[in-house]
Amino acid sequence: MFKFIPYVLKSLWRHRARTLLTVSGTAVALLVFCFIGAVQQGLLALTSGGDAGRTLIVFQENRFCPQSSRLPQDYAGDIKKMPGVVDVVPIKVFTNNCRASLDSIVFQGMEPEKIKAWRDFDLQSGDWSSFSGQDDAALVGADVAARRNLSVGDKFTIGDVTVVVRGVFQSPTAADNNLIFTQLEFLQRARGASDVGTVTQLEVHLNDTADPEALAKQIDQTFHAGPVGTTTRTKGMFQADTLADLAELIGFVHWLGYACVGLVLSLVATTTVMAVQDRIKEHAVLQTLGLRPLRVFGLVLTESLLLSTLGGICGVLGSVLLLSMSGMSIAAEGVTIAFEPSLNLAIQGVLVAVLVGVLAGIAPGWQASRTEIVTALRHA
Amino acid sequence: MPLVEVINVSKEYANGEETIRPLDEVSLNVNEGDYVSLMGASGSGKSTLLNLIAGIDQATSGEIVVADTDITKLARGKLADWRAAHIGYVFQTHNLIPVLTAYENVEMPLLLLPMSASERRKRVEIAMEAVDLTSRASHYPRQMSGGQEQRVGIARAIVSNPTVVVADEPTGSLDDKTTEQILSLLSRINEELGMTLLMVTHDSEAGQRAKRQIRLERGRLMENGKETTSAHLRTA
Ligand SMILES: Nc1ncnc2c1ncn2[C@@H]1O[C@H](COP(=O)(O)OP(=O)(O)OP(=O)(O)O)[C@@H](O)[C@H]1O
Ligand SMILES: [Mg+2]
Repeated sequence: MFKFIPYVLKSLWRHRARTLLTVSGTAVALLVFCFIGAVQQGLLALTSGGDAGRTLIVFQENRFCPQSSRLPQDYAGDIKKMPGVVDVVPIKVFTNNCRASLDSIVFQGMEPEKIKAWRDFDLQSGDWSSFSGQDDAALVGADVAARRNLSVGDKFTIGDVTVVVRGVFQSPTAADNNLIFTQLEFLQRARGASDVGTVTQLEVHLNDTADPEALAKQIDQTFHAGPVGTTTRTKGMFQADTLADLAELIGFVHWLGYACVGLVLSLVATTTVMAVQDRIKEHAVLQTLGLRPLRVFGLVLTESLLLSTLGGICGVLGSVLLLSMSGMSIAAEGVTIAFEPSLNLAIQGVLVAVLVGVLAGIAPGWQASRTEIVTALRHA
Repeated sequence: MPLVEVINVSKEYANGEETIRPLDEVSLNVNEGDYVSLMGASGSGKSTLLNLIAGIDQATSGEIVVADTDITKLARGKLADWRAAHIGYVFQTHNLIPVLTAYENVEMPLLLLPMSASERRKRVEIAMEAVDLTSRASHYPRQMSGGQEQRVGIARAIVSNPTVVVADEPTGSLDDKTTEQILSLLSRINEELGMTLLMVTHDSEAGQRAKRQIRLERGRLMENGKETTSAHLRTA
């Protein structure tokens, strides 16, 4: 069969304009397909990651936007004493935009030693000591730094908050690359005296045996009668709830991904049908020379497979490039979904292209292989 | 034992109400090394008979035995394999593959046979030399004249050393001088390479070049004023 590959390639090259249009159309559709896949994966990573089920987030009852949740910081001490709790991290969150946005900036104010203990990242530039020793210092996630063109030493202002970049970090947790860490006290004071002593949320780390559900209930009951009521959920649940509206939208958009696959199918099939109709006589000549009908079927299938796979690979490469270069993300209410390329997604994209190539070739291939030789030879 | 035996073959086409019967129980023997020309009026069924012998069309009834194989009994796939091994077909309009060079066109039938690459190269070179086109090997069909294209077509038909070479009006679209070239090439293939040749032609002068002349008239095959028969029928 491989002996006929040069013939197939030359046939594709002969109609290079048509081939190029089909390949580029396929590439664009697969780029969109992979992009949508990356958004879904980003959402999934937030709600199903390793610590999503074993870490609790305590938020003020019935509050959604980070600015409106104000928990007394000393709740942390009370929770720390509960059995099963390893550590409690008080976090002040500040965001410039509470609604869903592609360019949200999210600050998390944390005590430096807690950042060190519970956040996993590598500093790409800057150093830790200049961050922990300076009041208005910030560690900026790699994606924000790229998007806002920030580097160590830069001073920038978002709303009432002005910070100096003391480090740029890269985290294996994609969503964290869209965060800016500052010192807790700095962020509490940044927006006036009224925030001192309050935090937005408490992050509760559990030991391996604790029951997250039971502890969440216990925390909420403890503070039920206190000055500020709480709602405690696992981190996964918290993020899913926060992003519920966006998740619905993303769920809808994923149908667009399927539409892209359908588009590629009809595009490649159309081109292959045209190629077969152009070559009715040529296929009859090949059969006269002794090509089995099944071989003719195989040649047509190879042609559509090549078209679609070539386009698929271009589209997948394009999406990987786009996703990794742009560092895009979408955030709502202080929670960020990162759009990340992944090998898994790339393989999925190429497989979809291969499958579509085979499907698109079946009908035209069958038509070509069933043609009556004598009738086709009389064809002008 | 004749090489090709056509036994009581009929071909009918249903055309609405009426039935056309271009071949009406015809029989014919072709021996190894024969050069047979087939003539007759337009629409008499010459191409039909040729295509039946070449295994690309199906008879309504009758048998066609080529080198001991009854090809009317073969399934599509097997028949294709059989064609690859036994038939060389020269078309009126050469029908070369436009995206392939002369060399690649001639090589095409060999890709279907079990053969090493070096054996293939040797055979293609011999065939190209036989039609005197070695210098044009890397040319594409559109870069060649009609006569040259037809010579490539002939090289493609003889390259696999087939049992029978069939040609359907091989000079039908060529001028006199080129026609002469092609006809003497075909004669040489028959005489020097010993290939069995069956040629359909309109041109009686071309027909005279063959060793045997057969005419198709009203569904019957005539040779020297008598209807042709097959060995099979004579012994039966
Ligand atoms: N598919 C078909 N359906 C109906 N009739 C057909 C079909 N193919 C051929 N015929 C008829 O069969 C007859 C024989 O055709 P054929 O092509 O064999 O003639 P021919 O002798 O080769 O003619 P020419 O010299 O013009 O090439 C013609 O009358 C033609 O109209
Ligand atoms: Mg004819």
